[in-house]
Amino acid sequence: MASEVNTDFLHNKKLDSIAADILRPVGITQGFIVWMGFLGISLLACIYAYYIQFDKGLIVTGLRDYISWGMYIANFVFFVATSLVGMLISSVLGLIGLKWVKPIARIAEIIAVAFAAIAGLVIVSDMGRPERLPYVFLYGRIQSPIIWDVTVVTTYLVISTLLYFLPLIPDLAISKGRMGHTPKWLQQTYEILSVKWNHTPKQYQILMKAVRIMLILIIPTAFAIHTVTSWLFAVTLRPGWDSSIFGPYFLTGAFVAGSAAVVILMYFVRVNYKLDKYLTTHHFDMMGKLLVLVSIVYLYFNINEYLVPGFKMKTAEAIHLHDLFVGEYALMFWSVQLLGLVIPIILLLFKFFRKPFPMFVISVFVLVAAWFKRFIIVVPTQDHPFLPIQRVPHEWMVYHPTIVESAITMGTIILAVIIITILVKFFPVIPIWEVAEEQNELDSKTKE
Amino acid sequence: MIKRYFSLLLIVLISLRLSAQVWVVPAENETRKSPFAFDDASRKAGSDLYYTNCKSCHGEPGKNNAIPLVPPPPDMASAKMQGNSDGAMQYKLISGRGPMPSFKNTLSATDLWRVISFVRSFNPSYKQEIASASAAAGTSAQNVKIVLSWLKETNQVQASISGVKDKVNQPLAGAEVKLFAKRYFGYLLVDEPRTTDALGKAVFNFPKDLPGDSTGYVQLVASLTNDVAFGETKADTSLVIGVPTYRPPLTEKRAMWNVVSKAPIWLLLSYTIAVFGAWGFIIYVLLQIRAIYRAGGRKEND
Ligand code: HEC
Repeated sequence: MASEVNTDFLHNKKLDSIAADILRPVGITQGFIVWMGFLGISLLACIYAYYIQFDKGLIVTGLRDYISWGMYIANFVFFVATSLVGMLISSVLGLIGLKWVKPIARIAEIIAVAFAAIAGLVIVSDMGRPERLPYVFLYGRIQSPIIWDVTVVTTYLVISTLLYFLPLIPDLAISKGRMGHTPKWLQQTYEILSVKWNHTPKQYQILMKAVRIMLILIIPTAFAIHTVTSWLFAVTLRPGWDSSIFGPYFLTGAFVAGSAAVVILMYFVRVNYKLDKYLTTHHFDMMGKLLVLVSIVYLYFNINEYLVPGFKMKTAEAIHLHDLFVGEYALMFWSVQLLGLVIPIILLLFKFFRKPFPMFVISVFVLVAAWFKRFIIVVPTQDHPFLPIQRVPHEWMVYHPTIVESAITMGTIILAVIIITILVKFFPVIPIWEVAEEQNELDSKTKE
Repeated sequence: MIKRYFSLLLIVLISLRLSAQVWVVPAENETRKSPFAFDDASRKAGSDLYYTNCKSCHGEPGKNNAIPLVPPPPDMASAKMQGNSDGAMQYKLISGRGPMPSFKNTLSATDLWRVISFVRSFNPSYKQEIASASAAAGTSAQNVKIVLSWLKETNQVQASISGVKDKVNQPLAGAEVKLFAKRYFGYLLVDEPRTTDALGKAVFNFPKDLPGDSTGYVQLVASLTNDVAFGETKADTSLVIGVPTYRPPLTEKRAMWNVVSKAPIWLLLSYTIAVFGAWGFIIYVLLQIRAIYRAGGRKEND
């Protein structure tokens, strides 16, 4: 993001056509109503499931004495992981000066905001007495990684929201006069949110500075959020968690999940909003390369994470690894590693598979596998405590997720999709002014 | 896999070798019998004792899920286990062998019989034989009392034991006594078990360096080995005979595990700096949004 903004683009004719293209899908359409209706009804079912849990407590889940962190915590790690891509794309790649990320940056921020916002809720879903949530702040111990986690998740959510909102301000101002087809309340919302933006150089100057600060600040925050999430596990002595590379292992895994989520959303936007002029095959190609890169790094960490303890085979680690490689979790483990990591890496090395549709399919596999990978990280470790309990019913020692639990987890995913849908549907999903500015630059270059 | 295979082979070979060594039980122990009849109460008590002391190795009776030790701990319901006479079982519990610990000082004589009573409940064809009353009568007494005192000059602890025998309260001679000092997690045997002299007294050498509480108190417990005959008698006395020891509580200093007000300084600093740093910038940026708003208002006036 250049700090000097040349506002000539405001007078370029092309701005009109760009704005028209991007604003066309904005507003309430029939498809939107049907889609939201579907999400809303599904969500109601999930809310009912949560009502059951709220009423009866965690006994309605499969969580017992041995496995007390199940689907919910896996889901939490997944949400935090996926949200991290906002930092990777708009911040790291943007600050390096890669031009192709500009039209994608907002999509990445939408993913970041939606997933970070719901991550907090997911944690509440794991609480048997959610009304005691304030106790975390009243009686929480600063020594506990859980408190650090609560702190960074909140901070990350705020920064991501700002990184979504700040670059949106000029777009809101540009859109104001071009929203004839949308409901009045939406136009009023634009009016308020555009904070009297009228494209003065001074405003651009302030905006660019603010964005820059946030872009830099989000890097350590994002590193912190997922490293701390990994510490929730890594600060214990348990096999499978007791690892010194858990921080980077989680971070790189997060980039894989997040990149896949961005590709999926890009594909939907491109196809449904007919924005293939802005989300071109080139963008998918580049995202494909990014996905290969982060996947290879993640694969490298995976090899580290399993080979080193696998070489030493300390008793407890050996039992754990046996469970993953050939035991109870083998099917899930190998499916995740092959379908979600190894095969995507191989396929994405070929240009054909970096075309939009193949990319979309591969990304769905990667994202689903990313969810199960979190399950593999969280659950199997708890099967073999160092101090086994005795004389308890078998049921207390195994974990079978219940329907209630699965429905609540589904509900959190639906909620994230709802947030994404609203942001994508009611606001320009591609930064109009940045695309126009770049177009203007190209035009002036060709004139010379 | 291959490694596992070889270690399995090794275990099998070693256990074959060891199980070849018969666990010899002296003839007089072989024929010992419980002085009381096994009933539901004794089996219930035995079950509790079993699950706290034995299950970790021998596993759930009848399930053959003992841990893989060398030699393997037999299952309680197995023919090998039930092939022991009551007396042989008692002897093996008292003496121990290899990984099988001796329970001589851990379980009282009565408790040993209770565990055996529980073990027998997994043998449907078992018929109990009770020790004949006469065998026990000669050495038994009622209302047994143990009094502990400290012989300062020699640093010894003396146990004086008396009981009602032949309707007369008299010093109890020839009874074996054990002395224990209570520690954090259990009882520490002090000196050897001693047998009372004609005056009913037994004397234990007490170590000079045993840590006591902050004033030197040590809680002493004495019991009779043969509590079947004498009843479950115990003396429980605190004497100032230990080295005064002050152990600072683990929550005294700043530590990771302590309350917030005693969190490590470095942690408080890092956390505070990180949070204030990040939120300082966030608030600054929020103020910038206001600045944008103000700058927008001005243009119209230009
Ligand atoms: C630390 C593990 C361990 C514990 C605890 C333990 N055992 Fe054993 N036990 C063994 C092993 C190993 C053997 C086989 C020893 C041998 O054959 O040399 C064994 C053997 C025995 C035997 C002899 C079986 C035979 O060969 O005839 C009896 C009886 C027995 N245990 C009873 C008990 C009871 C009752 C308890 C609890 C009060 C107990 N054990 C606690 C490990 C243990």
